[in-house]
Amino acid sequence: MKAALHAEWTKLRTVRGCLWLLVGMAAVTVAASAAATSVSTCSSPGCGGDVTLLSLFGVEFGQALAAVLAVLVIGGEYGSGMIRATVAAVPRRGVVFAAKSVVVSGVVVAAGTVAVLGSLLAGRFVLPGRGFTAAHGHAPPSLADGPTLRAAAGSVLYLVLIALIGLGVAAVVRDSATGIGLVLGLLYLLPVIGGVVGDPGLRRVLATFAPTSAGLGVRATTDLAGLPLAPWAGLAVTAGWAAVALTVGGVLLKARDV
Amino acid sequence: MNPLMRRERGPLSGPGIVVAGLRKRYGSAQALDGMSFSVRPGVVTGFVGPNGAGKSTTMRAILGLSAVEAGTALIGGTPYRRLRRPLTHVGSLLDAGALHPGRSARDHLLWLAHSQGLGARRVDAVIGQVGLASVAGRKAGGFSLGMRQRLGIAAALLGDPPIVMLDEPFNGMDPEGIIWMRGLLRGLAGQGRAVLVSSHLMSEVQDTAGHLVVAGRGRAVADASVAELVASASGGRVVLRTTAAARAMGLLARAGATVASDGGESVTVAGLSAERVVALLNTNAVPFSEVSAHRASLEEVYLELTREAVEYRAATSEVPR
Amino acid sequence: MIASRSGRDGFLPVLRAEWTKFRTVRGWVAAMSAAALMMVLVALLAGMSGGPRNGSPVPIGPGGEAVTDSFYLAHRTLSGDGGITVAVASLETVLPSGPGGMEPGVVPWAKAGIIFKRSTDQGSSYVAIMVTPGHGVRMQYDYTGDIAGPASPTAAPRWLRLERSGDAVTGYASADGTRWTEVATVRPRDLGGTVHGGLFVASPASVDGPGTLPSVSTADFTGLGVHGGWSAADWTGTQIGPDSPTFAGYPPPASGAFTDDGGRLTLTGSGDIAPATREILATGGTLRDILTGTFPALVAVMVVGTLFITTEYRQNLIHVTLTADPGRGRTLAAKAIVLAVAAFATGLTGALAGGLLGTWLAEAGGVYVFPVPLSAALRVALGTAALLAAASVLALAAGAILRRGAAAVTAVFAVVVLPYLLIAVPFTPSAVSNAVARMTPGAAFAVQQTLTPYDQVDSVYTPYTGYYPLEPWAGLAVLAVYAAAGLTAAAVLLRRRDA
Repeated sequence: MKAALHAEWTKLRTVRGCLWLLVGMAAVTVAASAAATSVSTCSSPGCGGDVTLLSLFGVEFGQALAAVLAVLVIGGEYGSGMIRATVAAVPRRGVVFAAKSVVVSGVVVAAGTVAVLGSLLAGRFVLPGRGFTAAHGHAPPSLADGPTLRAAAGSVLYLVLIALIGLGVAAVVRDSATGIGLVLGLLYLLPVIGGVVGDPGLRRVLATFAPTSAGLGVRATTDLAGLPLAPWAGLAVTAGWAAVALTVGGVLLKARDV
Repeated sequence: MNPLMRRERGPLSGPGIVVAGLRKRYGSAQALDGMSFSVRPGVVTGFVGPNGAGKSTTMRAILGLSAVEAGTALIGGTPYRRLRRPLTHVGSLLDAGALHPGRSARDHLLWLAHSQGLGARRVDAVIGQVGLASVAGRKAGGFSLGMRQRLGIAAALLGDPPIVMLDEPFNGMDPEGIIWMRGLLRGLAGQGRAVLVSSHLMSEVQDTAGHLVVAGRGRAVADASVAELVASASGGRVVLRTTAAARAMGLLARAGATVASDGGESVTVAGLSAERVVALLNTNAVPFSEVSAHRASLEEVYLELTREAVEYRAATSEVPR
Repeated sequence: MIASRSGRDGFLPVLRAEWTKFRTVRGWVAAMSAAALMMVLVALLAGMSGGPRNGSPVPIGPGGEAVTDSFYLAHRTLSGDGGITVAVASLETVLPSGPGGMEPGVVPWAKAGIIFKRSTDQGSSYVAIMVTPGHGVRMQYDYTGDIAGPASPTAAPRWLRLERSGDAVTGYASADGTRWTEVATVRPRDLGGTVHGGLFVASPASVDGPGTLPSVSTADFTGLGVHGGWSAADWTGTQIGPDSPTFAGYPPPASGAFTDDGGRLTLTGSGDIAPATREILATGGTLRDILTGTFPALVAVMVVGTLFITTEYRQNLIHVTLTADPGRGRTLAAKAIVLAVAAFATGLTGALAGGLLGTWLAEAGGVYVFPVPLSAALRVALGTAALLAAASVLALAAGAILRRGAAAVTAVFAVVVLPYLLIAVPFTPSAVSNAVARMTPGAAFAVQQTLTPYDQVDSVYTPYTGYYPLEPWAGLAVLAVYAAAGLTAAAVLLRRRDA
């Protein structure tokens, strides 16, 4: 396993595209978060709003790049035929898959931490100027605050889980472009459909079981009762999706010819 | 001027390929450096040279896939990209893996046929010709390399072209397949087609090709018939084994030969045929135990011709594409 | 470059070859079918979800459109011809401020004036002339009709008069009650022989960022005079349409009122008499929402569009393609046509089936769906199909330029799907979503617009609510320009680069 991990790590770090995707993920997250905070306003005391959620808004977009990266880690090997060399070098495919999962998780944790901390920092910088001041009942987001710390750590975990979903899907479809289309469709389709479903029950079901809307609740620090699921429970739903994707992907990787 | 370069023999009698002065550079590597040769109808032309000598680049240039900085590659006088229904002029196989893995073999040929205005009947004909009829409906992605080669050959023959150009067609073929391929190539040439076949192994083409173009460092270092090549390398030399070396050397030198001795019983004679040497020795009662023609193998010729290119390759260790 | 020998007559075989290529890869055909299926499934999901079953029905105006018909009216009946004259002495509006508090505010389309209405039922035909704080004197009729009168001077009173003669009603305005200006003569669709005539006050919701605030207005009227066949009864104050899906009610503690203080009449009212917008009728469905399945379909056709060329690069099949037909621009054009036709057929099938089924299901479930004229419905169906076609061509161009499936799919997601998402989420600022819907390929979704924005109604007109800044076909043209530019760049690169 150690050798397989080392091999996967070497593979990942020697392809420049991966580094760019990680940098892009952090940049997109911070930029989208900063954009969201700089268009929000709080004009009076009790204006509502969740400064942490607002500051971490960019995770909605950063997740796309985490998913793309993960899909490429597997899809790229199928595209180039390198998968054959990989399983020739490490014939136990479960180990290969596990090593890929670990390496992808590791780099996404690293880049996700940068993204989340950068977003919170941007929020601290921007929000007071938009009226989210102590006088209006808002403290700037701070990791010393328990719920904010949970939101930050949860967001990093969320990004990892989304990447793992991407990894599983890629192992199923064995093609980068198709994998990216499927994963991004999954990430964004259910929330969009949820917006047009009029039936409240059905809408709640969608919000509860969609990987994005359930998991992204981990960013909230106020008005938790309004979430479809409690923060950690929501993240558990996303983890469930990741587990299913990884299991199906792993089983198929073992069962099928490469 | 390299003595093995073909001398001008006037215009081509039928459709063929004329490559003249192709030059192309990939970054700092000169992939083609004045590549010139021609391919004639009715004969299999072997295009040999070590990896990186420019064979594939030349073929890509002939097909208009790669742009060249200088030179021309003409098909019966026309650049490939101006041909109408090009597959009816040139059939080619560059890469047997060039197919969509999810499409069946027959469907792969079908779209190609449609692009040339040909019908499904022609598809079935070439499928039969290459012996893939039983697997035509299967996804090409599951084919072995040998089967893909056959499918690629079928695609090359689809337009019944007077010119056929194959890049390393023997790759991945089993012995039976190689024999089949040789027969096919001879047959195609026998029908009057111009056939260009590349290989990095002389042994693969020497029994099939009537004509050879040897590539090295981006140019043709030899362009001659197999007989010419062998003769030039052998130089018509005869090896004589005799206990009377001094007498024999004097006799043969007077008859106009160039002679050389290894100091022992062996004498190398150039400039006289073996029959003439035997006649002279018999007439003058010089004893000898053996007279044999020294024949260089094509492999030796090839190695000799391409040594420079191989050395170059080893020194740089990396030649793109 | 390409000689005339390989001209037009060479194109059909290439087209046929590309079509054969397309239809013989099962995954692509399956993806296209799945795209159409997703459009239908999402339409069913959107339609199935049932609305407020036992709520009041949505008021429908004489023109068939949904209307707001909730305001305060002081009325008597008028049989046959007759007239009414009054001066609006003041019109003041308050808006909610904090819990339970109200503060003075300005609502440009608050209305105080006189009206002839067929009945006190919601949606009945009417004609009215009124004073507004922001838009001067207006003469309005049958909800959608709106004629500007003289610009309002800052000083009250403002005199108004309506005269009925048969089917025609003429409105007049005056600053002093002696010199009158005719505003217009209109013929409402269905006023009937006896109308309810009188004074009215309406006070539509005030637009506040992405939402609205309810407002209440109070007007004083003086100098009321009538002539003709009026009933002898007293003026009766009535709240028209108190329980209506298009009326949010009075912000507490306010309520509608009418007092007659010796010739000085005072009305307090909220609501509006105008066509309904999406903001007011949030429960209403639109064809666009029913066709939300366009999003997954878009993803599918764009992935296929990308793969249609990138798999050729990956497998070096592009060499075979270009040796079979060396006309590179022509090959690309053939690919684009094949894709566009396939995506168009997919989109048309999905839009027609999804639109019809979803609308039928929604209406059967009691949901009000904003009505769509046949021409607009056809435009939506054809436009949606064209949208998918153009998007697939853009994806093909990206694939040809980038030559790598993953990169190309990511790129088209960024330029087409990201704008769609920015439009589809409620919290995007309207300035951003309007800019996105104007300049990015996402502008093409305007082709699905079925709502009409009205000048005489202030509302939240954003792409999210279903109002796009560009005309439907203009929006589609933006995407088409992107696709054409992409394809041109791809053709240039394809010719210039080694295959």
